[in-house]
Amino acid sequence: METIAVYWESRIKTYGFQRITDLALVEFSYPLSEIKALGEILSQDDLQMLRPKFMIAQESDQRISFILCLSVKEGRDFHASLEKPPGPTPRRYIYPVGIIFFHGPHFGDRYGIADATFSTLSKAEIQVIASGCSSSSIFLVLVQDDMDKAEKALGETFEVAK
Amino acid sequence: MEKLKIEGLKLSLELCQFDLRGPDSSEKIVMGASKALASQKINIEFLTYYPNRSNYHQLTFCINQDRFSDASRILEKKGSLPMGWEMNCRGHVGIISVFPHHSALKMLGLIMVSWGKQSIPIHGIATSLSAISLTTDYHVVDKAVEVIQGLFQLPDNHAPLKPELLYYQSSTVKED
Repeated sequence: METIAVYWESRIKTYGFQRITDLALVEFSYPLSEIKALGEILSQDDLQMLRPKFMIAQESDQRISFILCLSVKEGRDFHASLEKPPGPTPRRYIYPVGIIFFHGPHFGDRYGIADATFSTLSKAEIQVIASGCSSSSIFLVLVQDDMDKAEKALGETFEVAK
Repeated sequence: MEKLKIEGLKLSLELCQFDLRGPDSSEKIVMGASKALASQKINIEFLTYYPNRSNYHQLTFCINQDRFSDASRILEKKGSLPMGWEMNCRGHVGIISVFPHHSALKMLGLIMVSWGKQSIPIHGIATSLSAISLTTDYHVVDKAVEVIQGLFQLPDNHAPLKPELLYYQSSTVKED
């Protein structure tokens, strides 16, 4: 049986914006055919202490690319460890970056949230370095210096719960 | 060996996945695609966007399977995608969200090894504050869940959460 609930929300509500700053973004890729080998690398005990604040992976051209945000020290060490063969191919290291993330009562249920987010950032001329949206939340990786401007612009678009 | 603890699992409804890739104009693509989907009242369930790769940029998103034709039609319309951009679609995918207790990277590595052995593909990954979400083919979701249940220690009597309610935002306010 399917149950359908309908609601109306004029301005998209959020529970507020949270930030994490002073992060390093690390990108690497690996052949999809050897994904088990990458799994073995990631499950090594010496990487257990890593606490990625953001992670996405995209599949393309028979490879899987990972983008992780780590604390600066973790990012530097992890990027260096990738350069040791036979590890994944390191592609990019960007520092410093920050993350703004937010969620709301109807995130996951309704349309228009990504549109509101990316249109707002574009109008404010803020470049998005990476983004991941899942489990009813939006994560935006931005140049650290853009964080204040981004939060102000997003705060004007979304209704922040008091 | 003691199994890693996880807090739980959550499954999506049947979805479809679009991968849009192109050489430049990445800002146009994320804005254009999200605006086009919003205009058709299509909810994005999962999205990853990375416009900084050296040779191309990629936007991946998943929507409910019953909107596959609508989304394909608007994105395939001439002029919807910037010059040089291509679209690849997967008609039937599902998302498995794993709520890790700790050691998220190790947990992901173990899943990759075990799914790899069972030929269960990973088409995308995104994290939130509390979960790691993996997209895979819809027809292997049950098998993928079984593998995860065998790998980790779940709370007693845990069953994967499946959505039972569908919410829709109304386009009008109805007076009582």
